[in-house]
Amino acid sequence: MARVERSLIVCDECGLAHRRQPLGHGAVARCTRCDAVIERSHRLSMDGLLALTVAAAAAYLVAVNTPLLTLSLRGPTESASLIDAIAVAWQDGEPLIAAVAALTALIAPAAFVALRLYVLFPLSAGIKPPGFAWCVRMLHQADRWNMVEVFTVGVLLSLVRLAGLADSTPGPGLFALGALTVLFASIQSAGLKHFWWYVQ
Amino acid sequence: MSSATVVDPRCLLGCESCGLVSACEPIDDPGVVQQCPRCGHVLRSTKPEALQRTWACVLAAAVLYVPANALPVMVTTSALQHDEHTLLGGIHELWIDGSWGLAVIVFIASIAVPVLKIATLGLLAWTVRYKPHWRRLERARLYRLVETVGHWSMLDVYVVVLLAATVRFGSLASVNAGIGLLSFAAVVVLTMLATWSFDPRMIWRDAPADARHA
Repeated sequence: MARVERSLIVCDECGLAHRRQPLGHGAVARCTRCDAVIERSHRLSMDGLLALTVAAAAAYLVAVNTPLLTLSLRGPTESASLIDAIAVAWQDGEPLIAAVAALTALIAPAAFVALRLYVLFPLSAGIKPPGFAWCVRMLHQADRWNMVEVFTVGVLLSLVRLAGLADSTPGPGLFALGALTVLFASIQSAGLKHFWWYVQ
Repeated sequence: MSSATVVDPRCLLGCESCGLVSACEPIDDPGVVQQCPRCGHVLRSTKPEALQRTWACVLAAAVLYVPANALPVMVTTSALQHDEHTLLGGIHELWIDGSWGLAVIVFIASIAVPVLKIATLGLLAWTVRYKPHWRRLERARLYRLVETVGHWSMLDVYVVVLLAATVRFGSLASVNAGIGLLSFAAVVVLTMLATWSFDPRMIWRDAPADARHA
């Protein structure tokens, strides 16, 4: 077994070792060589994080299932939810585009929320859930591929481009997406390494 | 901001998943990879074949960038006409419609970010081998910037997917994705993969702990 140095932090971006120092509330420690963030003392307690994640789960369900925008052209109306948009791309003979959109706007955000809920509920009761290490590793991947914020701007942009063409109105899904973007940003600011602080 | 004290350089590996620091183990068998004793994540001092993978993705992205711009990304059909729109054509339409702000946003996301990403990753990969001491801190910051803004290029892909899903009034008005969109999506995904295969630790290889001030 390798020797473990609990008093040290190694910078992920340049590999330099630093001695761990207690951080003040909301403080950020940066690498002295490459200026990358090496540690963050997050403002959220585990319960706070859990509450935000539950809120994000609700926002996600609304964002995915309700119409993002509705378009009416002198009578006939057409509205699209996120799932509709991906299904249309798939049926129109663009399976790869549909797959990329599904991965980045549907599956990665779902994993982002679901894995955090799976990890945080037992942790708040003081239990380490089975497969904990795997979940944290998968969360790193989910955070990487999650592009909800870009998708939200994409919906806004579509809305503006359609406004010149026909009568377009934003749907409830768009507001849920906006909420989801903000919730994800605040959840992500806590980072992922801190999950391990609770299971010592 | 709190600054931490630097420990004299030794062979230490930090786990990218859980943050635990372990000492390097001498490994005789090249097939065996050291793992984090706490979470089991693979510990490496550099990512495997980082430069080759980065170059492969950057070159593939550069090649696909040509059809992404030359071919239409969106096809609109109405009772009167059938139009094909390229990336630049779409930005031009926004501009002449008077939506200058939007035109600038789409230009940055669809044209500027992919071009700068391909150029920056090429520069980073080239300097690792040929100019290892040149402006290390600036290169590290450049890498961080590419990593942060990279996924915004997906914007145009989402817009076309959404327009195709809402504008569905048959022969009256409809929008479909063009073949250029697939190349463009591939460019975005490939540049993201190139960013993740590049290892910023290569920038700092053999650099002293106080290299920042050197």
